[in-house]
Amino acid sequence: MNVLVCVKRVPLTGGRIVLTDDEQAIETRHLGHTISPHEECGVEEAVRIVEQHGGEVTVLTLGPPEAEEQIRDTLATGAHRGILLLAEGEEWDAQATAAAIVTAVKARRAAGDDYDLIVFGNESADSGGFQVGIRVAHALGRPVVTGLKGIAIDGGHARCEQEVGGGRDVYDVPLPAVVTVLEGINLPRYPSVPAKLRARQKPIERITPERAGARLEKLRLVLPPGQGKRAEILGRGPDAAPAVVDVMRELGVA
Amino acid sequence: MAGVLVLVEHASGAVDDLSLQAVALARQVAAGAPLAALLVSEGGRDAAAQLGSHGVTTAHVAEDERLAAFAPAAWARCVDELIDRLDPSAVVAAGSNRGNEVLAHVGARRDLPFAANVTSIGAGEPPTLTRVRWGGSLLEEARLHAPLALLTAAPHMVAAGPVNGAAPPDVEAFAPALEPADLVVQVSEHVDATATGVSLAEAKVVVSGGRGVGSAEGFGILEELAAQLHAAVGCSRVVTSAGWRPHTDQVGQTGTKVSPDLYIACGISGATQHIAGCKGAKKMLAINADAEAPILNSADYAVIGDLTEIVPAITAELRRARER
Amino acid sequence: MRLGKPVDRSGDVPQRARNEATIVLGQRKLFQRFGPGLMHAAIFWGFVVLFPTILMAMIAAVDREATLPWLGSQGWFALLVDVFAVLVLLGVVAAVGIRKVQRPARFEGSHLGEADLILAMIAGIVTTLLLWHASRIALGLHEWEAGWSPVSNALSGLFGDGTLTEVLERVFIWAHVLIILSFLAYLPHSKHLHIATAAFNVYFGRTGPGGRLEPLRFDGPEEEMRFGAGTVPDLTWKQTMDAFSCTECGRCQDVCPAWNTGKDLSPKLLIMGIRDQVFADGPKLLRDVDFDPSPLVPDAVPETSVWDCVTCGACVQECPVSIEHVDHIVDLRRHLVMVESRFPSEAEPMLRDVERASNPWGRAQTERADWAEKLGVRVLEPGEPAPEVLYWVGCAASFDERAKTAAESTAKLLQAAGVDFAILGPREGCTGDPARRMGNEYLFQAHAEQNVATLNEAGVTKIVASCPHCFNTLGNEYGDFGGSYEVVHHTELLADLVREGRLQPTADGGSITYHDSCYLARHNDVRSDPRELVAAVGEPVEMARSGKRTFCCGAGGAHMWMEERGGAINEERAREASETGADTLAVACPFCTVMLDDGVRARGDEIRVVDVSTLLVESLEDPPPA
Repeated sequence: MNVLVCVKRVPLTGGRIVLTDDEQAIETRHLGHTISPHEECGVEEAVRIVEQHGGEVTVLTLGPPEAEEQIRDTLATGAHRGILLLAEGEEWDAQATAAAIVTAVKARRAAGDDYDLIVFGNESADSGGFQVGIRVAHALGRPVVTGLKGIAIDGGHARCEQEVGGGRDVYDVPLPAVVTVLEGINLPRYPSVPAKLRARQKPIERITPERAGARLEKLRLVLPPGQGKRAEILGRGPDAAPAVVDVMRELGVA
Repeated sequence: MAGVLVLVEHASGAVDDLSLQAVALARQVAAGAPLAALLVSEGGRDAAAQLGSHGVTTAHVAEDERLAAFAPAAWARCVDELIDRLDPSAVVAAGSNRGNEVLAHVGARRDLPFAANVTSIGAGEPPTLTRVRWGGSLLEEARLHAPLALLTAAPHMVAAGPVNGAAPPDVEAFAPALEPADLVVQVSEHVDATATGVSLAEAKVVVSGGRGVGSAEGFGILEELAAQLHAAVGCSRVVTSAGWRPHTDQVGQTGTKVSPDLYIACGISGATQHIAGCKGAKKMLAINADAEAPILNSADYAVIGDLTEIVPAITAELRRARER
Repeated sequence: MRLGKPVDRSGDVPQRARNEATIVLGQRKLFQRFGPGLMHAAIFWGFVVLFPTILMAMIAAVDREATLPWLGSQGWFALLVDVFAVLVLLGVVAAVGIRKVQRPARFEGSHLGEADLILAMIAGIVTTLLLWHASRIALGLHEWEAGWSPVSNALSGLFGDGTLTEVLERVFIWAHVLIILSFLAYLPHSKHLHIATAAFNVYFGRTGPGGRLEPLRFDGPEEEMRFGAGTVPDLTWKQTMDAFSCTECGRCQDVCPAWNTGKDLSPKLLIMGIRDQVFADGPKLLRDVDFDPSPLVPDAVPETSVWDCVTCGACVQECPVSIEHVDHIVDLRRHLVMVESRFPSEAEPMLRDVERASNPWGRAQTERADWAEKLGVRVLEPGEPAPEVLYWVGCAASFDERAKTAAESTAKLLQAAGVDFAILGPREGCTGDPARRMGNEYLFQAHAEQNVATLNEAGVTKIVASCPHCFNTLGNEYGDFGGSYEVVHHTELLADLVREGRLQPTADGGSITYHDSCYLARHNDVRSDPRELVAAVGEPVEMARSGKRTFCCGAGGAHMWMEERGGAINEERAREASETGADTLAVACPFCTVMLDDGVRARGDEIRVVDVSTLLVESLEDPPPA
């Protein structure tokens, strides 16, 4: 099985978000970075699939040169190789991102590497477009199932499970396919140090893709109103319990 | 013909709350132009009747026995056909899992940009819209460069509201020209949930715990409080990573998004990815030892102190009040 | 020991020689418990003095008339022999009394049968020696003046000078030699092996600060890398020698906070377990290169024991033969964490947060200096000249609400005294202590290198830390990574300021009992400065377990982030504090603050837990608080 997982480097914002002066991005000085929890689980799922069925996991990201850090992290958890699509500076909108991924996948296909399964996180932690996976699937002519909490591969088919109110919906799709997964599909492993050291040696291909014009054009970022709202302090310690119950009564929940 | 098309989700003959919010957004976009709705399959006709009071003039119901089980590409095909027929300026859906999925398919098929989770949209050519990032902790102002705007409404950020005395809409049924490729991805089976207790996503009250609870056993007092309030118990991401509670209990950007009447956050510091999961709550009460914790910027009420003392005190007070 | 991995225990020869003199010859550590210490000293010094008699016995066994040249005829030596033989006997009697009558709990788990056999043999050796001398005197074969050996002389009255005595003399000498030979043969198979290895173990013991752990190397080819101790061949030669030197005395077990609160961990049982595994796997490994040794965890040491440890070092301090239990435990953890990713799941978020967010609380570094804003504390920006003293706040004081008051107090005091200081704010990353104590040496080193780069770039030379763990790591461990700074704990700096009169507190704080943090008092010998401060603000009252023999609060060894099985260490310490009757429990560490405050609340005690710096601030405020 040849599996591709697409991830995105995002900052760890903590308790509050601070914007750059030009309002184009989050101020990331002093912030650590990671990939979205959905994607972490996606990488883990891909690694488990190839551990079970044989094959290799490739991790791809579109981002700045620093995104190599995130690729190395995924390589440490068991992926075999990486592809870094270098997108210096401005962030790319969902369509442009999908197009670049499709170009890279087709290039790999021409080189003899076709992916049986392409895995995305359901949505990226930051821009939350909910669409890159679906666009890639359409461009490649493959079926796509989203929001998965379970995948089982069986002889050229993927049995996919989605959580819905009252239970789970099951989809059965033929491979090759595209899926998007949700955190909770598995518990990602903690990489061992030998794996981290080996990850430093694994290959990462660097490509500078062409960028399509932005059709969902970001103008600026804005902090939602009501920031710096202060909660009304009902009291301190257990003595505040009666005040709390009063509020609950007012709200009609007690 | 200009106007706006809104995809409406429904179940058991009633329109989904999030879809009503989407209709409200669609009305904003339409700014007076006619509003048409698309409902797919069984129950669509019954649900359609409700939409009149929300401003929908025509309800198109797609009927085909093959649409009984959800298939995103098939729904996208229905939307497609209506776009060809009605030539709307925008297509709006709820920012639900299905809404986002179906419109993303439409965008992919038609090579159109798609803005998910929009909170408002202005006039102008091209229109400027505001959409949600980071699960709601940040907003983006953007411009859509397309002849047809594809939008989903950010859940709980657009107020659904009926307009005055409007009649039920005209209902037009149609059979979409589905192709086999549209049905490759379709629900083949439904497995019922075995879990008992109040569902987190639907609970009216959620009692949630974070790092401050300290251990798996520490959740005992939260469960007691939840029992008094018929509430569901939730937790933050730290708790699930530590293995104290299962991921199904996790509230957050990548967990369950809840919209209760009251969300009680115990020992939760208030990272943005957690707030993204509970900002749908009508009111939030934070119980925290730290008066400077970020969560106090999102909560409506707070009690400062040791949650191991405060939570049982509230439970006891509720019991006392009940006995009176 | 041939299998043992390398570790550098050369260097610092004068200190090592001093250790040999005081610990081995002087039996210093044994005397930490006076009674048993005296007992063992009697037997040990007896053995040292009586050593030549073994040679004499062997010679005389073969040739009845011969003995060691010169020494054999020295009267004073005969006197020493008599005196020490009796002392040894008294020692044995005392030992039997301790083991059979007093029955201290520290022997739980030790091989008591072995000990009894050894004591019997020792008694046999000295008794046969005395009887042999007595019979020689009776036969007139003694080479020294009989008067010099009063005991033997007195005993010689039991024997006539006839054939029976001649036979008995041979009987005694052969019995004596045979018991000695059996003893020597039995030695390698029992805990008495310590006789051979203990002196070396003490010589090669640590001479540097107790709080410094030995770093691992992560450069170089993977086959040569050591990621801690997973199997017997991973142990260093010192660790193997440790295992051979254990006498199962149980003093370590007695002072272990984990064992004392009902947990699985006993440092004694841990070392015994490792020893047994070395004996089991060692010979097989030496014979057969392909032998697959069994994992130390769980075969030699149960997994729970490895995680119960709080790295307080009380065990290492008690051990009379310089066994370094904490090094063993950290090495076991290193293997479990770095190679097998097997560790308590509740610690995983902490490790991930330290790695990605640079602090174990997962908060954004941008919020690190929030507490300092309203106090107007200077945040050192890149490129600015370094202050005279850099105040290293630490993650706990930056983010934990209870620990923050110490940072605020310290800042206020430094400002009041006019000290030129600044904090690094968002550029201060976790020192990596919790990661290192968990066993994630790799993550620790990444942080150490990062912090050293920041500090060196800023030109920092002197650092004050209000957290003993930061203090220990910055001062003792960062040197291995290119960072050498003068590092002081905030109590040391504040005590200086008080002595210099730059801060003038008044002693109206009521009765205060001071809790010594392990990483201050035991690992780094900082005990008197905090006490000076306490005495300057109130009336000090000491707990029984104080100073170097303090009892841990329970947060060390990354336990701040791990669940505790069994009884609570912090509640045990809170109990001890409350029983002093003091109004206030003074601490000097953010972890101790949180743990002891939790402990006090859990017990419902009235004592107030507060950092020494806050007490100082309160004492300077005018009027003094109610």
